[in-house]
Amino acid sequence: MAPQTCRRPDKSMESKALNNATKRLWKRWGWIFLFAVSLLLILFTPLPIPSNSPADRNIRIEASMFQFSPGELKVNQGDRVTIELVSTDVVHGFSLDGYNFELKADPGQTATGTFIADKSGVFRFRCSVACGNLHPFMIGKLKVGPNLLLLRSIALSLLAVIAALVSLRMFPDQQSRYIK
Amino acid sequence: MKKEYLARSLVILFILVAVTIPFAGQWLSGRNQPAAIELHARMPENGGWSPDTIQAEVSQPIHLHITSDDVVHGFAIGKSDQPALEIIPGEFIETTLIFDKPGKYTFYCNRWCGPNHWRMRGTIEVSGTGTPLALDPQPLFLKLGIDIDAPQPAKTIPSKTTSAERGAQFAGLLPAYAKNRDTYLSTSPENLWLRLRAEATLSNLSDNDLWDAVTWIWLQQTTMDALANGQKLFANNCAACHGETGKGDGVMVRGLPVWNPGLHSSGDSPHLSTGEGFVSPPDFTDPKNMLGASPALLEGKIIRGGMGTGMPYWGPIFTAKQIEDIVSYIYTFVWGFSNQE
Amino acid sequence: MTRLDLTHISWTQTLLRSRWPQFLLRAITLAGFVFTIFAGLFGSVVGSHNFAIIFVWIAWWTALKLFFIPFGGRSWCSICPIPMPGEWLQNGGILQPCGKGIGLGKRWPKAMRGSWLQAGGFLMVGLFGAVTLTSPLVTAIVLMVILLLALILSLVFERRSFCNYLCPIGGFTGLYAQVGPVEVRVKDADICAAHDEKVCYDACPWGLYPLALKSSANCGLCMECLRVCPTDNIAVNLRPWGSDLGSKTKHNLDEAFLGLVMLASALVDSAIFLGPWGQLKSAAYAIGSLPWLLFAGVFIVVALGILPGLYIAAVWASMRLGAIKTTLRQSLAQFSQLLVPLGMMAWIAFTISFAFAKFSYVLPVISDPLGWGWNLIGMSGTSWVGQSTSFSLLLQVVLLAVGLFWASRVARRITESVKQALPLIAFSIIFSLSMLWLLIG
Repeated sequence: MAPQTCRRPDKSMESKALNNATKRLWKRWGWIFLFAVSLLLILFTPLPIPSNSPADRNIRIEASMFQFSPGELKVNQGDRVTIELVSTDVVHGFSLDGYNFELKADPGQTATGTFIADKSGVFRFRCSVACGNLHPFMIGKLKVGPNLLLLRSIALSLLAVIAALVSLRMFPDQQSRYIK
Repeated sequence: MKKEYLARSLVILFILVAVTIPFAGQWLSGRNQPAAIELHARMPENGGWSPDTIQAEVSQPIHLHITSDDVVHGFAIGKSDQPALEIIPGEFIETTLIFDKPGKYTFYCNRWCGPNHWRMRGTIEVSGTGTPLALDPQPLFLKLGIDIDAPQPAKTIPSKTTSAERGAQFAGLLPAYAKNRDTYLSTSPENLWLRLRAEATLSNLSDNDLWDAVTWIWLQQTTMDALANGQKLFANNCAACHGETGKGDGVMVRGLPVWNPGLHSSGDSPHLSTGEGFVSPPDFTDPKNMLGASPALLEGKIIRGGMGTGMPYWGPIFTAKQIEDIVSYIYTFVWGFSNQE
Repeated sequence: MTRLDLTHISWTQTLLRSRWPQFLLRAITLAGFVFTIFAGLFGSVVGSHNFAIIFVWIAWWTALKLFFIPFGGRSWCSICPIPMPGEWLQNGGILQPCGKGIGLGKRWPKAMRGSWLQAGGFLMVGLFGAVTLTSPLVTAIVLMVILLLALILSLVFERRSFCNYLCPIGGFTGLYAQVGPVEVRVKDADICAAHDEKVCYDACPWGLYPLALKSSANCGLCMECLRVCPTDNIAVNLRPWGSDLGSKTKHNLDEAFLGLVMLASALVDSAIFLGPWGQLKSAAYAIGSLPWLLFAGVFIVVALGILPGLYIAAVWASMRLGAIKTTLRQSLAQFSQLLVPLGMMAWIAFTISFAFAKFSYVLPVISDPLGWGWNLIGMSGTSWVGQSTSFSLLLQVVLLAVGLFWASRVARRITESVKQALPLIAFSIIFSLSMLWLLIG
């Protein structure tokens, strides 16, 4: 920019520089707009959920210190899920995140409860009756339908990588030795 | 230098406060309360009750502060109708007990807390003057000299599910002894059936008619309330081993060798800690296992346990009435008069 | 880059320069530490009702990762009570050094320098974590051993040798403090160069010379240099996050090891504590048993085999794609910066998933710190079964995405071309997706 002080820049150069700056600005905003749109698409695109007719599901879960067996359940959205909780050593409970559903079973006394799996996603269930040292970590998973959050998160992660690379090109900082 | 000493005093002061909090808090929270006995419940593998013997005086209230150090337990007094307390890990529950008769009382855990749960028992020794706690009358199986260790498989069994309802129509034909309570208590269904089969007056009844009649007799000796109570007691105390449907497939006996009526004898004492020698319980839904046993014999097995199988003894826990209800209930696994039907 | 020098604001300068605020915090944390040991030794054996478990592993451990490090770098180290007794003896004074300290003042052996031992210690914490995390007694014993060890080492070795070379939390905090928004630097290098009496170096418990400070990894923010500098040439800067990362900063091989151990620990801890695999939990808990040995084997293979293997492969591929030739060792060290944002965001995400669900234990334990049945503030017995909400899940996703974004930027900055950055980014993606799957899958 030093030459500016000694001679008047001619008009065409000035407008060229202005033009370039405007171009760069438009390009930046273009990228930002693109990322914003992608982000919204990733977060809110309605994904096709395989529609199964709701079924009745009977699931027997054995609870022991400190595991549920099976620890991972899979149902479809809308299913009527009946959980039979069988404790095999001490008193255990079953509390499902996101649903207001809780069971409590003594050994020898199976507890049974039913709920409609109307919310999709992955929900953790936890033992709700203190059953020893690892009780806070006695956890299982219920998958209702496909795990859309995971799919969206993976897409979001890839977008984050692209955004990182583009952001360095669009907004270079002085720390970057190699980026021109 | 003054500042340095101020700093040093502050450090000492703060640490003193930190160390004092437990003691001060203990004093503050215990100040207005009568002296209490702190009772810790642990799984039997971790030591069971601590302390496991409590001393008390007749008519003197004892205050208990009960907590659990591991899992959910229960606190109950044997042979009493007092409701049991639920003991949550890390939380304290208070209770006051008064005994009006001197003697030894059993307190026990009533929530299953592992395969050794039933060993979780303690004693309250109540001393003082007064009529001592009545001793249990001699159980019938001892009076009758029944060997509860000997296997009692039934050789004669009904060919289809019996029905007390159908049996009721033959009630008028039955001889008096058949409806007698003493006969019921001391006779197995199989033996009663054989005895009735030999009666000339009943010769026109089919074998299954006669089994229906025996079923009706067994129902006559109990009530629906007693059966409901028996069912509850069975679910709480027995189902963890004997199975919720009486099949002998409870959660605590998985992997144990199958009960074999020909093999077990009281001579084989199961190893207490390794569980070696324990067998899984017989299938109560199999008439062969049930119909050869008299109520007195079943009562004996519940009271004394053992039999070389790992069956706990429930004599100090249940009242005679409770045992009677359980006995009535467990026959329903083969009889067609379960109150669920 | 823009910096805000806190010594230019009069009230923050007073707070930093005066010894009292820091001393009071230290005295309080020391008393709290003693109380925690007491609670662990004599309080309830039920972890969820014992102050020691809840305050160390839920309140403090969460605060360290969500507050102290991301907003203050090694700020916890400046008020940590563990080295205090030893340092006071070394200094011969509690409020300020008075020159009559005791201690042999030996130099820490050269072979044991760097963060190798810290990383090993952190690995150990992970191997025994399931028990330490849940047993008040074990927690108390571990705290006592650490306190004693720090005291003994400070009597044998000079300065904060324990913090610098042994403390696993020091390793953790130091690694991630590089991206923290606080730094101590000199204001004008020329003034220092002209000043031939290094009072600041003599005063630094960490053995650092402020003029040479390029990274905040080893600076414990104790402010001693600020207090002794005769020319007021020390700045305490608020700076943008991630300032110590970039192509011009220097990084050593031990940092790569430390960073990889942290990543592996985040993965394994997520699997144990948040996963649905009960046998893994039991194995991690049954120390000394065969399943535990198996678990330890798997942990060590992940921490010392699989992750480092992937990292070495990524670095090797990246070197092949670049023009500037360095040795593999140099590249492994230089590219280790990548592991810092990646690990920090993963730990924060893990903490969110953990803390949100377990925070309900904190109030009851204030009400009844020893689990003796007190009810000091009327909050005993209010703990509920913690749930992870959809908000917390979303937050974890965002945090992991930010970590990946950040790591990718760092990867690009320290390499010559996008092509060369790609293997490093691929490594980051593999780690982030594994973490994502463990947390929300």
